Amino acid sequence: MDALIYTAMSGAERVLRAQQVHANNLANADTAGFRANLELSSSRQVEGAGYAARHLNQLGSDAVSAREGTQRDTGRELDVAVQGQGLFAVQVTQGGASREAYTRAGNFTVDADGQLRLGQHAVLGEGGAITLPPYSKLEISADGVISVRSGDAVELQQVDRLKLVNPEFSQLRKDEAGLLVARNGEPLPADASVRVASGRLEGSNVSAVEEMVSTMNLSRDFEIQMRLFKSADTMADAGNRLIRE
Amino acid sequence: MNPAMWISKTGVQAQDAKLQAVANNLANVNTVGFKRDRVVFEDLFYQVERQPGAQGDDGNPAPTGVQLGNGTRVVGTQKVFTNGSLQTTGQTLDVAIVGQGFLQVAGPNGRTAYTRAGQLQVNTNGQLTNAQGLVLQPEITIPANATSVTIAENGAVSATVGAASAATELGQLRLANFINPTGLLALGDNLYQETAASGAPNEGVAGLDGLGKIKQGALEGSNVQVVEEMVDMIAAQRTYEMNTKVLSAADNMLQTLAQAAR
Repeated sequence: MDALIYTAMSGAERVLRAQQVHANNLANADTAGFRANLELSSSRQVEGAGYAARHLNQLGSDAVSAREGTQRDTGRELDVAVQGQGLFAVQVTQGGASREAYTRAGNFTVDADGQLRLGQHAVLGEGGAITLPPYSKLEISADGVISVRSGDAVELQQVDRLKLVNPEFSQLRKDEAGLLVARNGEPLPADASVRVASGRLEGSNVSAVEEMVSTMNLSRDFEIQMRLFKSADTMADAGNRLIRE
Repeated sequence: MNPAMWISKTGVQAQDAKLQAVANNLANVNTVGFKRDRVVFEDLFYQVERQPGAQGDDGNPAPTGVQLGNGTRVVGTQKVFTNGSLQTTGQTLDVAIVGQGFLQVAGPNGRTAYTRAGQLQVNTNGQLTNAQGLVLQPEITIPANATSVTIAENGAVSATVGAASAATELGQLRLANFINPTGLLALGDNLYQETAASGAPNEGVAGLDGLGKIKQGALEGSNVQVVEEMVDMIAAQRTYEMNTKVLSAADNMLQTLAQAAR
């Protein structure tokens, strides 16, 4: 069979997968703290004698967009948004082992034991997971220090400080659960310069316009690949006819 | 089949759920003691098709990998326990809780239920009840010949009984609070029920131990912000639309594929 159809196939395959990336981004256009996935394709040469002119397409899609999402006021004291660059640290427990992961989502809750949580993950402070005493008022300062007023106390009492990290986004990838982790798998050091704001929540950083345009582009791209399929088919057919007649 | 269709489906479903929450919030904009719901989304798991750093050509590690997401899902709805605005009604048996805490009533299933709606009533036995007629806990009975019922900030209920000149203390309203009120189960009828997530109730006297004060003659309105809900509604509608666009784009791609093969 003609090599053209396989080259066109790698292009069509790439479009289908890239479409999946954009569909996922758009589906998460409303997920708090979501970071868009970026897709990029590169050419890969086919190894072997006589193939030097053939390049197939290879898709890469584990880069994460560093753009900031829009923030909105919610007034809820356990909603926290990172101002500028930076990430929250959470603890992921999987089969008894726990590791650190990072996120921009700041819709924290407190569980029945007073532990600060993000979904099912414990939020990390300076010395591990943060446990809050029963409180009547909670404040999170710009540098992530959590203070509470409990019982009849007049003054706020400092409990812990959120672990905030500030890595380069190019050093991050997503794990299977969608949380950010360092590419080398190491825990990141805390950065004292990261600023947060309480009572606010950062949305997704997906740009709807960009995603729509990419979807349209991919759709047309796919049509072109299909044209190539057709011409490869016609050419093979013409060859077959030559033998027959 | 094209996985983009299934992914867009999760996005459409999520926005559907959000719209339902918005509709419920807006419907309850005038419900006393109502707390708005917020839908929380999370991205679904990722398929890692090629690990970054995998060995590539000539033994060089690949700088990027392939990770494909699977869409979004609704993790849950969160009750937002911010305080609603206070309305002064002047009614003797209307109470508002300024701060944290819940009134306790004997629930329909024999368990204690918790509420922030303070439209209290008196039933035929003279007991204080909530608007649905569930008896307030601890029980307080107001004698038939009582006049000028007063509820103090700490919840002490007193009234002038018969011809007496001094007020008699009839009982004490007690409030309960939870370490994680978001974890309470909303039963409807403005009632909440304790769950494993909310923790055990901490009962106490109003105004002490972080509990709010009780204000007589006022009601706590709903904490739904109409403008915020409208903006949420527009956002949900448009996101829904865009997800369906991707759905039809994926459909078109499959159609061209089918035509090319013909």
